[in-house]
Amino acid sequence: MNVRKYLAVFVKEAVDNLRDRRTLLTVLVFGPLFGPLFYTVMMGTVINRQVADLDQRYSLAVQGAENAPGLMDYLRQQNLAIEKAPADPRQAVKTGKLDVVLCIPADYAAAFSAGRPADVQLIFDKSRESAGKNIDRTRVALQNYSRAIGALRLVARGVDPRTVSPIVIEDTDVSTPQSRAVLLLGMMPYFLLFAAILGAFYLAIDSTAGERERGSLEPLLTTAIPRRTLVLGKLSAVTLFSAVSLGIDIAALVYCQRLIPAAKVGISVDFTPANAVATFLVCLPFCLFVAGLLSVVASFTKSYKEAQTWLSFIMLVPMIPVLGMVMFPMEPAWWMMLLPSMSQDVLITELIKGEPLDALFVALSVCSTLVIGGALTALAVRLYKREQILG
Amino acid sequence: MIEVIDLKKDFGAVQAVRGVTFSAPDGHITGLLGPNGAGKSTTLRIISTVLRPGAGTVTVDGVDVLADDNGARMRLGVLPHQSGLYPRLTARENIRYYGELNGVSGEALKRRIDELVTMLEIGEFADLPAKGFSQGQKIKVALARAMVHGPKNLVLDEPTNGLDVMATRALRALIRKLRDAGHCVLFSSHVMQEVAALCDSIVIIAGGRIVARGTPDELRRQTGESDLEEAFVKLVGEEAAA
Repeated sequence: MNVRKYLAVFVKEAVDNLRDRRTLLTVLVFGPLFGPLFYTVMMGTVINRQVADLDQRYSLAVQGAENAPGLMDYLRQQNLAIEKAPADPRQAVKTGKLDVVLCIPADYAAAFSAGRPADVQLIFDKSRESAGKNIDRTRVALQNYSRAIGALRLVARGVDPRTVSPIVIEDTDVSTPQSRAVLLLGMMPYFLLFAAILGAFYLAIDSTAGERERGSLEPLLTTAIPRRTLVLGKLSAVTLFSAVSLGIDIAALVYCQRLIPAAKVGISVDFTPANAVATFLVCLPFCLFVAGLLSVVASFTKSYKEAQTWLSFIMLVPMIPVLGMVMFPMEPAWWMMLLPSMSQDVLITELIKGEPLDALFVALSVCSTLVIGGALTALAVRLYKREQILG
Repeated sequence: MIEVIDLKKDFGAVQAVRGVTFSAPDGHITGLLGPNGAGKSTTLRIISTVLRPGAGTVTVDGVDVLADDNGARMRLGVLPHQSGLYPRLTARENIRYYGELNGVSGEALKRRIDELVTMLEIGEFADLPAKGFSQGQKIKVALARAMVHGPKNLVLDEPTNGLDVMATRALRALIRKLRDAGHCVLFSSHVMQEVAALCDSIVIIAGGRIVARGTPDELRRQTGESDLEEAFVKLVGEEAAA
């Protein structure tokens, strides 16, 4: 292959398209920055609300608070503000004015002093999801109080309180803070791969269907450049644009995740620069794959508009496995490495989790994506060798 | 020197070229004349290797377009029907790109571009993007682009289309100059006067076949018409009736 001619095509396509405002904006701004911005705003909002929920004093409406001063003191220590319940607590809960109302009957004190089980009543609407947290907090506070009083009574009677706890449940949550972060960062592979596709989008059209529509393809094909060299030059430029868009996206994500107060909810997002570089490298073959896929499809279309229509649709295809993984999460398996986009999705997810990459997985992913990308490139060369390429 | 021997080409059921034979020698302007749809463009596109011959052979300086398409392209400068300049590139960049694709580079390419810019009087707009060029400016740049690698053979598909009188005259003068420098110029047109004013010999094509050939004088004699246009109509009409 004549390297000089190859570079001439590569440089021309890059320079020519950098002068196109729409392509430039897509590659440098819209493609790569949409994801990180969306992510930052959404996650920032979610986390801030979660943090606020845990720290917030919330007010608990109580009917008959005067019947149980000891319990009220306890609840206040648990950061609950005691309020007087309205006259009709059921109605207030039903209409959603209150999440939960605690009713303490008049005979509470008598039963409590006598050591009999004292009834209290919780009124809530389980169908209201937003009330769930406050219902749970109230219930847990009441249970804790009940257990503490029970233990004191046993001690007073000379009984070890542990005898009434034959089983002790000890919660061990095996998810590390980082693996919890995956839930939050689950959308990241989607954004990264999307940026890679969008970066390739306009150049893939411009260098194929656009070239034909402008009438510049025919004179181009009369120059003494072998078709293979021509196609490789074009695809390399498309791959470069895709990689640039991807790189900006990754850099923006590294920056953005620092802005997010994830640590406040016990999540450590540790997307280190080293992991970012690794992410970029495992995604590079995907850029070639996208360049091949989009260019091949655009080569079949008659005009810029038609190419745009087709590619808008085709660009969703690599997203199907990614969305599938969001809806039906599966453990990483070797067969996933054979599918471009799915394999990158799995590998990016591992990198975000801060888990070491399986070398075999990486090798499989890189090889399979390169092979499929290479096959698409070969197909593009074949298409350019047909005379129908002139349309 | 371009030689076409018994060339045939069909697109599905349409037989665009049905056995065309002619040769365009060096130092000679050969006009390919015919009504619209006669097969002129198809013939030129096969010579410039963007279409493959259905049957027959085409050689450029002895290089077969099927056996070595790249070698044939090296020896050809083509001005296709549409100029097809890149609108975001300047005139100079458009010319340089084709120079690089045709294997010219470095200092030699720079010199050659300067030479063409002077010869074709492109200087005024050489560094402007091609987007706003007039038809005449586009043709000039496209011609410079076709000649950047100094090919011996030039294929021009209706180059005077859309040019005003002054631009047409300038282009004719240039084509004569190229002929005198020893180039083989193959030129297509559907306008008789155009061809008569410029060409050393004329090949008349109609319905995918060659119906007559010769110098303008020979064609007049052949048909017995003193007016070349009448001769053309007679020749083409015979074919249409046949």
